[in-house]
Amino acid sequence: MKNKMKRIVAAAAGLVAAMALTACSGLKSLDVVGQGSITSFEEVLKTIPDQVQADETNVGWALSAPDDSVRFIWSEDYSNAPLHDVMLEFDAQPFLDAGLDPEKLPDNYAFYEGDRMGSTGGKMLMVGTKLGSDKFTYNGSPTAVTAYEQIVNNYRGSINFHTSLDHYGVKLGDGNMFEWAKDMETNGYDHSDQDKDIVFVLNPQPLIEAGINPEKIEGWTYAQVTVDEHGKEEQVWKLLKPFNLK
Amino acid sequence: MNSQVLSIRGMTCAACAQRIEKTVRKLSGIEQATVNLASEKLFVEYDESILPLTTIKQAVTKIGYEVVEKSESSNVTIPIGGMTCAACAQRVEKGIKKLPGVTSATVNFATEKAAVSYDPHQIRLSAIREAIEKAGYEALEVNKADAADEDRARKQKEIKVLWTKFTVSAVFALPLLYIAMVPMLIMYGIRLPYPKGLDPMNYPLIYALLQIVLVIPVIGVGYKFYTIGFKALIQRSPNMDSLIAIGTTAAILYSIYNTWLITQGEFKAVDSLYFETAGVIITLILLGKSLEAVSKGRTSEAIKKLMGLAPKTALIIQDGAEKEIPIDEVEIGDIIIVKPGAKIPVDGTVTEGHTSIDESMLTGESMPVDKKAGDPVYTASLNTTGMIQFKAEKVGSDTALAQIIKLVEDAQGSKAPIAAMADKVSGVFVPVVCIIALLAGVAWLIGSGGDVKFALTIFISVLVIACPCALGLATPTAIMVGTGKGAENGILIKGGEALETAHKINTIVFDKTGTITEGKPTVTDVLTTQDSPADYLLQMTASAEKSSEHPLGQAIVTGAQDKGLDLLKVDSFNSITGRGIEAVINGQTVLAGNRKLMDERSISLTVLETDSDRLAGEGKTPMYVAIDGELAGIVAVADVVKASSKGAIESLHRMGIEVAMITGDNRKTADAIAKQVGIDRVLAEVLPQDKSNEVKKLQGEGRKVAMVGDGINDAPALAQADIGIAIGSGTDVAMESADIVLMHSDLMDVPTAIDLSKKTIRNIKQNLFWAFGYNVVGIPIAAGVLHLFGGPLLNPMFAAAAMSLSSVSVLTNALRLKRFKAANQERRGA
Repeated sequence: MKNKMKRIVAAAAGLVAAMALTACSGLKSLDVVGQGSITSFEEVLKTIPDQVQADETNVGWALSAPDDSVRFIWSEDYSNAPLHDVMLEFDAQPFLDAGLDPEKLPDNYAFYEGDRMGSTGGKMLMVGTKLGSDKFTYNGSPTAVTAYEQIVNNYRGSINFHTSLDHYGVKLGDGNMFEWAKDMETNGYDHSDQDKDIVFVLNPQPLIEAGINPEKIEGWTYAQVTVDEHGKEEQVWKLLKPFNLK
Repeated sequence: MNSQVLSIRGMTCAACAQRIEKTVRKLSGIEQATVNLASEKLFVEYDESILPLTTIKQAVTKIGYEVVEKSESSNVTIPIGGMTCAACAQRVEKGIKKLPGVTSATVNFATEKAAVSYDPHQIRLSAIREAIEKAGYEALEVNKADAADEDRARKQKEIKVLWTKFTVSAVFALPLLYIAMVPMLIMYGIRLPYPKGLDPMNYPLIYALLQIVLVIPVIGVGYKFYTIGFKALIQRSPNMDSLIAIGTTAAILYSIYNTWLITQGEFKAVDSLYFETAGVIITLILLGKSLEAVSKGRTSEAIKKLMGLAPKTALIIQDGAEKEIPIDEVEIGDIIIVKPGAKIPVDGTVTEGHTSIDESMLTGESMPVDKKAGDPVYTASLNTTGMIQFKAEKVGSDTALAQIIKLVEDAQGSKAPIAAMADKVSGVFVPVVCIIALLAGVAWLIGSGGDVKFALTIFISVLVIACPCALGLATPTAIMVGTGKGAENGILIKGGEALETAHKINTIVFDKTGTITEGKPTVTDVLTTQDSPADYLLQMTASAEKSSEHPLGQAIVTGAQDKGLDLLKVDSFNSITGRGIEAVINGQTVLAGNRKLMDERSISLTVLETDSDRLAGEGKTPMYVAIDGELAGIVAVADVVKASSKGAIESLHRMGIEVAMITGDNRKTADAIAKQVGIDRVLAEVLPQDKSNEVKKLQGEGRKVAMVGDGINDAPALAQADIGIAIGSGTDVAMESADIVLMHSDLMDVPTAIDLSKKTIRNIKQNLFWAFGYNVVGIPIAAGVLHLFGGPLLNPMFAAAAMSLSSVSVLTNALRLKRFKAANQERRGA
């Protein structure tokens, strides 16, 4: 009886362990969120192809908002990326107008005179995070999509799914995000079109500490949003720049 | 009309019992069909000329249950010596198979054993052994399977299987519950260790698939809920298993659908997985079933104890030598040796030797009884001192012990009228619950604006919380424990109806002679008129009465013998009918008799007139004795009151029961006895044939009457009374006529029996209250009635836990009766 029990317990434990290992190893076909994010990200890129460009400075790719005020940049070679591997670059002027003191920005922010979508001389802000130092190998030349796939395949924890909005997202560190709709036709888990096909999300706290009045940033919405933190939904303040693509 | 007890396997709840009863009752030729869920037995009374038993069995089997008839055949394994090859085995097998009454025989050469099934009515085991010997082999000591042991082993196995199933289920259900619930606990600020790779938000498919993998073994061990439940549902007779099957299947199918949605990219569906609900429900029900099986086993412990009283072997004299044989091989006429310290194996009569035998298991008397040649001995009584030989007269099911066991078994399997309501409810319970679940689910689906998840929770909760088991177990378990406890105390209650009626009794009528009194007249006073000593008067009177057959005369003879007085030679003796006797002893004429005799012989009684009246007033019978025409004295004889009578009547008074005494004696004597023991009402000078009318008159006053008598001459009154209580040893024919048989001749068992009845009925009422109350409260809560008013919603897993606990709580309450203590238990040293 005791041996029988031991066998049963061992079988159960083995099964759980095997499943856990499978889960941890990120078996691609079972990672529906990761795989789904690739498909839908590709769909976003296809929807606004003119806004997708290679970013030589950051050794990667950039997706610009339709009004060119902000870009999501992702590196294709983390060993060569100069500052961050995933990041947002955006026009600093509205923030300066809202009281930003660039000296007070934390280290993950960069403030500079930039080259924004072909025009020069603008003041820019960049915020992002370093994911690793990998030098990825690609089948052929890297593309915007295959560069993104590296995040899913190697840094799956940086990708998340925002259930209440039905959005995928890439975590840029410190509460900053780039999100896009799983399905731009039925944007929202309740199939309501929320006109938020892509959303640039900033954590307002460091900016507030750097002097801004968050409600006075032109082009950005200061709002409370629901975020999923390991299943726990929380209401937090964010600075948002949503765009409807379809 | 035939009656039969069939053991039924596969019943899981009261609805199953109801279904079997209904099916069998529909058969033409059925007089009565009662199913006892607790003992898993079907009692049928049927007309065999119209309805063969096989048809009844087929009807039960057809609706999905297994019939295990109390086997008419016996199974035996006979070790065989002398076989040298497979051909030997073949030869022995052929030899046994040829015998009439042998249904099957298999001889295994490797184990050197023959497994034989045979009808003991057609062939005896010894004949099978002879056939083996005749074939040229040696039939060694037989190992015959004992029915009680087999039953015990079967139940133990059942418990073991259930525990194993529960353990397997729990091993998979616990991680399933952990995986499913921990992410939800985060909502309440509780963070427990959890693998990131299983995060439902980011890895919903892995999260769902792992749950499927874990729930499969749980469903595997609980497969019977589905096979039995859906089968019953298809046959439009749903039972408890149907509720579990529907509830968990709904949960699993909905979860599988949501898993498919996840694969289609609907990640939100991860919030609508119910695999852990199904897994935990099955696990908890298995836990409940395991606990239920253990408790059910304990309810029949009394029978097991009784069965365990009989020895397994007997030492017989065969061919002039002592030989120990299994008890089943003992035949009528066998001479059996019983050594000191051994138990009597079967009923019989002592042929040689003398000893003292402890018959307390039958009579309750702790003092061993002397036995000599010609005295009866009973199975399971204990030989304490000498070695005796006795002739077997009753074996197997004919022994007194076997009859007692049968009586208790029948009682435990019977139903009390109080169970009728529970039976009716159980019969429609499951379909009604299914309808309530469906209505509640649909109502919430509409009311919540199409929230399928919420409606499903309600649907599953209602199905799972409803518990017909508790209803079905409420009455039979209490009756089993109550009647079993009675048997342990020597109180054989013949059925549920008797048990229920006994608690309503408000008047008890006691027969006087042999019930309140010892039933044997004894000499109480010897008064003399002359200087001669009392012993001389007693000696003369006893000598004169020696030839008398009158009970009073015999009492005087016994009284003299007890005092060691020698009886004198009687020269002549004359019995004067209705008056007394006349004898001549040593030339003296002795006249002994009543007042009429003395008056006719002109003998003056004046000297002892006052004493005579006093003795009569004390309930004693004064016998006048005259020697040579002169009054010599009075020898008073009386039937003395039993030691326990007064205490028993006081106990009954404390219970608020009026106590009456019925007797054929004259009023004066009856009143005297009544005064001694505290009787409220005396029914004197009643002829035996009128006793039942007196009981009827009391019943006419609206009283619930119990009659207590010795069960032979009081039989009509015992039958007329609402409850007939026979006092006497369990060997008496009293067992046939009474509703309750008190094996010990102790009147204290009467209040004990009433008390046991009251406590059992109270226990049944408690059980029914909890069983009904549980469902009445539980079902609306599960249906979301509280939630409607802002209250909590019941999680299906809690519903399953509550459902399992309801049966266990009913059984536990019934088992409390095992703590019942008889009023006279301490006195008996039990």
